[in-house]
Amino acid sequence: MRGGIGARGLAGQRARREERSALAAWSERHINWLLVAPAVLLILAITVYPLGYSVWVAFVNFDFLIPGHAFVGFGNFAAVLNDPVALHSVVVTAVFTVADVGLEFVLGLALALALETKFRGRGILMAIFVVPLFIAPVIVGQFWSLLLQRPFGPVDYILSVIIRHPVTISWLTEFPWDFIGVILADIWQWTSFVMVILLAGLAGIPAELHEAAAIDGAGSWQGFRFITLPQLLPMILLAVTFRLLGAVNLFDTIFMMTGGGPGTSTYTTAYYLYQTGFQEFHLSEATAGSWLFLILVSAAIFILVRRLLKVEEA
Amino acid sequence: MTRKRGLWFRWRRYGIGRTALIGLFLLFVLFPLYWVAVTSIKPSSDYLAMPPVWFPAHPTIVHYVAALFAYRGLEGLLNSLVVAVATTLLSVALGTCMGYSMVRFGTGGRDLAFWVLSQRFLPPVAVVLPIFLLYRSYHLYDTRIGLVLVYTVMTLPLSVWMMYAYFRQVPRALEEAALVDGCGWWGAFWRIAVPLAVPGIIAAAAFAFIGVWTEFFFALNLTSRNAFTLPTVFRSFLSFQGAQYGESSALAVISLVPSIALGMLVQKHLVRGLTLGAVRG
Amino acid sequence: MDEIIPDEEHERALARELDAWLAGDHSRRHVLAALLGIGAAGAVLPASAHAASRAGWLGRQQDHLLQQAAVDLASPDTPLGKAQADAVTASTKTPADGSAFRAVAAAKGKFNNVSLALTYEAGLQALEPRNFSGPLWQQLTGMNYSVVELAHPDLYSKAITEHIAGSGAYDVLDIEPAWIPSLADGGVIAPVDEYVKKYMNQADLNDYHPLFKFLPMYKGKRWGFFDDGDQLELYYRADVFGDPKLKSAYEAKFKQPFRVPATWDEYSQVAQFITDQMAPNVYGAVHFRKFGSPGNQFAFCQQFRANGGVFFDAKTMQAQLATPAGIRTLEQMIAANKASVPGNNDLDAVAAWVAWLSGKSAMLFSWPPTGRMSENYSQRSKAVNFVPTSKIAGKVGYAIMPGKYGEMASGFVKAISADSRHPEAAYLFAQWQSSPPVSLVRVMLPYTLRDPYRISHYTSPIYRSLWPSAKDYLINLSNAANFGITDMIMPGWQDYALTLDRMCTAVWAGKDPKAALEGADAEWNATTRKIGVAAQRASYQEFLKGVGCYPDHTVDAMGLAVHLT
Repeated sequence: MRGGIGARGLAGQRARREERSALAAWSERHINWLLVAPAVLLILAITVYPLGYSVWVAFVNFDFLIPGHAFVGFGNFAAVLNDPVALHSVVVTAVFTVADVGLEFVLGLALALALETKFRGRGILMAIFVVPLFIAPVIVGQFWSLLLQRPFGPVDYILSVIIRHPVTISWLTEFPWDFIGVILADIWQWTSFVMVILLAGLAGIPAELHEAAAIDGAGSWQGFRFITLPQLLPMILLAVTFRLLGAVNLFDTIFMMTGGGPGTSTYTTAYYLYQTGFQEFHLSEATAGSWLFLILVSAAIFILVRRLLKVEEA
Repeated sequence: MTRKRGLWFRWRRYGIGRTALIGLFLLFVLFPLYWVAVTSIKPSSDYLAMPPVWFPAHPTIVHYVAALFAYRGLEGLLNSLVVAVATTLLSVALGTCMGYSMVRFGTGGRDLAFWVLSQRFLPPVAVVLPIFLLYRSYHLYDTRIGLVLVYTVMTLPLSVWMMYAYFRQVPRALEEAALVDGCGWWGAFWRIAVPLAVPGIIAAAAFAFIGVWTEFFFALNLTSRNAFTLPTVFRSFLSFQGAQYGESSALAVISLVPSIALGMLVQKHLVRGLTLGAVRG
Repeated sequence: MDEIIPDEEHERALARELDAWLAGDHSRRHVLAALLGIGAAGAVLPASAHAASRAGWLGRQQDHLLQQAAVDLASPDTPLGKAQADAVTASTKTPADGSAFRAVAAAKGKFNNVSLALTYEAGLQALEPRNFSGPLWQQLTGMNYSVVELAHPDLYSKAITEHIAGSGAYDVLDIEPAWIPSLADGGVIAPVDEYVKKYMNQADLNDYHPLFKFLPMYKGKRWGFFDDGDQLELYYRADVFGDPKLKSAYEAKFKQPFRVPATWDEYSQVAQFITDQMAPNVYGAVHFRKFGSPGNQFAFCQQFRANGGVFFDAKTMQAQLATPAGIRTLEQMIAANKASVPGNNDLDAVAAWVAWLSGKSAMLFSWPPTGRMSENYSQRSKAVNFVPTSKIAGKVGYAIMPGKYGEMASGFVKAISADSRHPEAAYLFAQWQSSPPVSLVRVMLPYTLRDPYRISHYTSPIYRSLWPSAKDYLINLSNAANFGITDMIMPGWQDYALTLDRMCTAVWAGKDPKAALEGADAEWNATTRKIGVAAQRASYQEFLKGVGCYPDHTVDAMGLAVHLT
């Protein structure tokens, strides 16, 4: 240190100030990375690290009933691929996904078209329509099991009154009604998602295009087919892929409404993996299954995220 | 003349169809909400009634009390609140910083953007098991902090991208003026950019809150007696003896209030929030 | 880098906000202040909630709200009150060598800052520790408690999850005896032999019906106390079976006496007949067929074994469900479903009780609480608020199961968690709860789902005075247990049981029985392979030695039958 005691005090202060400003200058230069670092570190810790760990888990034995973590090679993957319930769950997931998203698209598009032009009360209607989006899916499942569950659910009674013939459908325990019930719950929740996005898209179509077409003598159906739809296509794709990736994870409504039953007929992949891992405690098998599922879904994720980025930059 | 009549016909046809569609969908949306609200105030004997009781003769709040206290609904509610608020703050703070950096400095370029965005679509079932195993080693199992960390990462993509979209609309000119005044980037960030992006911050916060408030899967598997959240309380209604309809309805009604209130708040930003800022609503 | 041209509206809004900010407008500051406020609250809330939960404050508030006064003892001139007074005497005064007294003496004052976490099945089961045994124990010994309510399958899976997480969250576990092999091998529960040597007396240890006595034993060690005599038996409407018109019509049609059925085929036949004659007022039968509530595995297992079925080939350990016995069982169950109350396949145990108590069914096989509910004994308690008043009190008869062999379906054992931080305290509570005088009260409480399991319960004059036919009810329970068969007590039972439950629900939904049984066989074999064929073979041999494994090994078949009068 330079100088004597008094000087050290001053010099110390200056040194500290220099240190501080050196620190400040450094943080100023690297502000871009400093701003990004906490988020990145958190994601690394909570996502990447566990995924890496799970690779190890998928290749060893990790089971409640069998002690030790012996290396088992591809044994866990083989167990999952040979499990008929696993394959069935993939089919069930695909069925739900396609049905849900398809119906949400059709209904959402129809509603968006119906609400396109402003009229009195449209704001209130829209506010009501989007309420289901903010409800926990598990609660939506509970709503619908309240409605559908025999013997106390009102749906059978209402249907009986409407068609004037007693309706005794066991909505949650009979095929195909259990599938229909879950699909109903899902479209109840997510149709307005598609509707809202498509409405935004419709609002973005310049009115001149329609006017020009009308002048040229195009009917409304042709206007729809050749102007509206193509203009709306990016939005449609956006909404549909968002919903696809959401529907693939179907769990909450299955948990509350059918519990995967009857038998294992409504097991979605997420429910199957939950059952294997957290109910039967075949942890390594469940992990292997999760990896297979992740690989299956990754292709779709990749495509969607690329598209989202493109839309953002557009 | 003919054309006008044609137009009029078309309007009438579409008008009826439109009204029918909107009306039916309105009924479709409202009926379950009504039924749950009514079930929550029905006395138990009314459940077993056939034909269904459309409005109870003797409404009661006993289910609300039971749901909150006998089924530990109050504790779940408080846990949910704590976890949601903490997550929202953390997620929005980190998201704002990251969004700003990506906009102003292009940090990480497309790769970072792609990576963060793809987290949004990571299936929860793929990570929940290893997180469970790791949490037990780090004593984070069944803790609120453990949940907050997971939920922050779950809501980060949304926060980052909403703030990205908002910051892009803040003209650089203001910050550059501040820089010229000797502010430094940190100052420009904190004193100029952030206050201007407050509407976006609020919107991102609301979406993050709703996302955490309604989350079930992680809460189901990463919590137990201490840190359980409100959605997991519904599980105890699927008990050995069958569902407690009144209590679960009461709890559902309680849970709906914050999420719907917040949802109304962010109506303006709805499309942006739903599409991670990709589409301006 | 970001040359975006903002849309006009946004730009105008932006400009406005900028002006406001530069002008020091309050609104912006208010918003920021509000955000900070929320943030501060968000910081305070977790801290206080954390502190509160650390101190167990929240949990205690809730438990406090649920406790009705300190301990709600009935007046001593009622049977229940007398039994409760006896329990208190036994815990505090005499007999001094009784397990109740010794448990209280050992625990008194020593564990004042201990709070035991007790797992219980959610709903009615959890009422008993909340309202009686918990508060009374606290009064006697100063020990705190908290009741953790879980769905029935979670009593198994959550215990394992907590064990894997090493959390020590639970102290006393309520488990099915059939889970003991899995939980003991998995290190979830701890053996209690050394505590038994220290604190238990032999007489109380012997005071069990022979069917239940050996259930807590596994691999030579004791793993807890049996605590719930869940013997299934048949309840029937004496007025329906005594109806002379029905009698003559039935005998004319079938040329057989009209009586409480003795075989499963007769059961479906009688039920269908009653339904044909008396629907929609009364149907022949009602069942609990819903998945997991509590599950079809019990009904299937009892009927399967009564039809001569065996679970495994003892040498190869191949599952033997898809055999003529299995197909016959499912066909009989389908026939019974047809003859039952509408919506039968959706009913869980409580909904089945509701139908039974409203007089809709002529027969029901279910757990012992059925008898108490039928006589309006249970309904005296306000807690039992979704069980309706019985319309059939005084009209109910008791019989053993058709096919003679009824399942001891589930049952409960009080076990000590291996991760518990207070194993001795937990043990003493379990010993006290299951001691003869205290357990008598616990099986007598109106709202309880715990059922008699000790000889002293069956012979108790106090219990027999609860309603006119209570004596017959108790004797019938004991007789049913003489012919009772247990769940398959082996590692992996819960996996096997879930397979059966799923198989049954698939069959109710229309799946072909043979295909369903073959599917279940495949799942069973996969489970056996996972656990290890050799290990399961050994475990199955152990099961074959146990009382109640198959009809040829019941209490009666082994000459240990209890004959009560």
